Amino acid sequence: MNEKNSETPDAPDARRGFLKQVIGGASALPFAVVGGTAVAAPAPAPAAAGPVVNQVFGYTSFSPAEAAFVETMVNIMCPADEFSPNGVDAGLAIYIDRQLAGEYGKGVKRYMRGPWMEGKPQHGPQLPLTPEQHFKAGIEAANAACVHQHGKGFDQLSPVDGNAFLNDLANGKVKNDSLSLGTWFNELVYPLFQQACFADPIYGGNVGKVFWKMIGYPGLPATNTINMVQYRGKQVPGSLDPKSISDFS
Amino acid sequence: MTATTLNKRTVVIVGGGLTAGLAARQLTAKGIDVLVLERGGDHTDGAEAHLPNQRDELRWDTRQGLVQDWSVQTYTLRHKTSETALPVRWMEAFLPGEGMGGAANHWNGHTWRWAEYDMQLRTRHEERYGKKGIPADMPLQDWGVTYKEMEPYHHLFEKLFGLSGKAGNINGQLQLGGNPFEAPRRDEYPQKPLEMTEAGIIFKGAAEKLGYKPFPTPAANSSGPYTNPDGQQLGKCQYCGHCERFICEAKAKASPEVLLYPMLKARKGFEIRLRAHVLGLEYDAKGKRVTGVRFVDLLTGREYLQPADVVMLGAFTMSNTKLLLMAKIGKPYDPKTGHGVVGKNFCYQVNSGINLFFKNRWLNPFMATGSTQMYLDEFNNDNFDHNGVGFLGGAGINASMFHGRPIGGRRLPPGTPRWGTEWKRANAQWYAHSMSMGMQGSCYPHRENYIDLDPTYTDNYGQPLVRMNFDWRDNEVNMSRFVANKIAEIGKVSGADIVSPAGPRTAPFDTRQYQSTHITGGTIMGKDPATSVVSPHLQHWDAQNLFIVGASVFAHNSGYNPTGPLAALALRVGDDIASYVERPRML
Repeated sequence: MNEKNSETPDAPDARRGFLKQVIGGASALPFAVVGGTAVAAPAPAPAAAGPVVNQVFGYTSFSPAEAAFVETMVNIMCPADEFSPNGVDAGLAIYIDRQLAGEYGKGVKRYMRGPWMEGKPQHGPQLPLTPEQHFKAGIEAANAACVHQHGKGFDQLSPVDGNAFLNDLANGKVKNDSLSLGTWFNELVYPLFQQACFADPIYGGNVGKVFWKMIGYPGLPATNTINMVQYRGKQVPGSLDPKSISDFS
Repeated sequence: MTATTLNKRTVVIVGGGLTAGLAARQLTAKGIDVLVLERGGDHTDGAEAHLPNQRDELRWDTRQGLVQDWSVQTYTLRHKTSETALPVRWMEAFLPGEGMGGAANHWNGHTWRWAEYDMQLRTRHEERYGKKGIPADMPLQDWGVTYKEMEPYHHLFEKLFGLSGKAGNINGQLQLGGNPFEAPRRDEYPQKPLEMTEAGIIFKGAAEKLGYKPFPTPAANSSGPYTNPDGQQLGKCQYCGHCERFICEAKAKASPEVLLYPMLKARKGFEIRLRAHVLGLEYDAKGKRVTGVRFVDLLTGREYLQPADVVMLGAFTMSNTKLLLMAKIGKPYDPKTGHGVVGKNFCYQVNSGINLFFKNRWLNPFMATGSTQMYLDEFNNDNFDHNGVGFLGGAGINASMFHGRPIGGRRLPPGTPRWGTEWKRANAQWYAHSMSMGMQGSCYPHRENYIDLDPTYTDNYGQPLVRMNFDWRDNEVNMSRFVANKIAEIGKVSGADIVSPAGPRTAPFDTRQYQSTHITGGTIMGKDPATSVVSPHLQHWDAQNLFIVGASVFAHNSGYNPTGPLAALALRVGDDIASYVERPRML
């Protein structure tokens, strides 16, 4: 039955369907079909050599003080090096700002009814704060702890001291009377940092798909039926030239 | 609020997912009138089902775009009955679906027939280990139906969903390359197995070195173009790595919204009413019948009473139980006495694994499907002798390469810094050169694992949340440790440059980590009304025109995904309801 089906000429072929959807789905789509493989036309190269950097300016959620904290933090967590520009240039601060200002930050889809009680870690978040409010309360508390410890705010620390402070946060060594800063950093801040690096660039981070290029994630589309066999155990061409949602829009 | 009473329908089904679609297929084929009430909408024209946004990991995966809205309805949890349960405000552990097709539109696609003995597990254990071999706090029980009775429905489901796999046991004859522990089947899978990933090749080699018999997981991700017996079609899978938590835009993952609902909508007598949130069942306790279903139309906010000759519950595990508890149909389970049935034998799935890193092998995680997995069954369930091991049950061991989505699908060696240049270097070095091996384990019932209604927390409709009274018990923890050691042994001979330490599942149960959506029990089936909610024909003992189907009727959870038996039971209950409609009686 299965053999017969696969030989039926008019049976649906998802790959063809895929191409049809991609090509017919939007106007001015940068696709060409070459040798039966979907390839995107190359994006216009930047005028000057050098990394593509964030071009979005102006925060929608952060205050200047919060922006200073976050920019300092993402530049420590993502220093400019052979893999990427610094965190701000890679769009990480913009990503976090936009997420906090949007549905995620406002706690959409999150159960927010009382009564409120302290739970075990395994219950997950139990604060009557939205993620945005929690994020900001954490910055305030972390910065206060930093001033207490170093006599200056986090954005005034040297990169080495700043890095040590972030490690202390992650290890639960920075204390606040009410807010658990370890939980704040590990369960709220750190996931946002990872998403900022690896989410599709349409969200503002991962500018120029720099982190996808770094690891060799090809992005989309993916029509791998032939590749599965041809490149099994081998490096996949195209994995270093990833495509984002914006490349098809 | 006064509800408007609608015209009576023959069969009303609560929940528009996989079970509803399958039961409705059987019923409408016989010309029986069916109305399905589904709280969500139709994803067909949404961004989730079309390129390019279908490939948005942040939206559909991280932010759970296709998953139940926790702000409307979530579950509370306590690990012990002495604790106060708290609501899980953002659930990661399991992901119920919403909308036509239910969770079966964002599923992986693994489709098993369980072990031949699974539905007689108590009898099997008593015969093998004696009555004392089953701990007193483990209310294992037979399901009241046999694999042999279910086999025709497995067969039908596999044809309908065009499974890709390799048979291990055809009519008792073991087949090379298949699962030697597979329950006997009448023929090969409808389609050849999916292509193996490099991770699968590594796993196969390592497992065979140790004398095991690895095989490809039976998959609903279509290895070729396929037309099912109903004339419904699947495309050929493109190994894009966006199956679980995503809708397949290529219609290559067998799902209700591809294979069932479009066909059903064209059938006479079938109707699916979307954005209809069911509030409760109308129960005539004296007459031992349900008379209808109350729901709110989310487009108008208006409440309706929908009278029905027969009601079938086909919602998520938790909701099936909740509807019974709220309507006071059947006796709620009491963990102190062990009496009562509704909410009993609530089980989950014991999963964990290790990561392996290979400097010189390209694993290319992004070329995968939700079911590109090699598996071995030697240590699953009762496939091995449990004398002296200190637990019952077991786990399948697998190399699961499902996707390379970069937010959630990166593996880093232990000790890697969490940020900075060295973190980036490790990501660059290992992303395409790493894989996981894992276990998917059984979870047998425990006297104190059950669900009931939370006394404090309510949903958007003012109704109580379902409360999970659940933790990993010694039996599951011991099993997990045993199987984790077996995985570590396979890891050792895999040729990996780095193997992360084995991490067996330990208590307490953690809602912050995805484990699996395989929640079972609460409305279990059986032959004895004193220990089961529904009969072997899934008919409620206390309301003969009420049928329940889903993993909520499983008396225990096995080391397999639940879809196979769940789907077979749904097809069978469709036939049973048809027979009941013709001549109402206790089947």
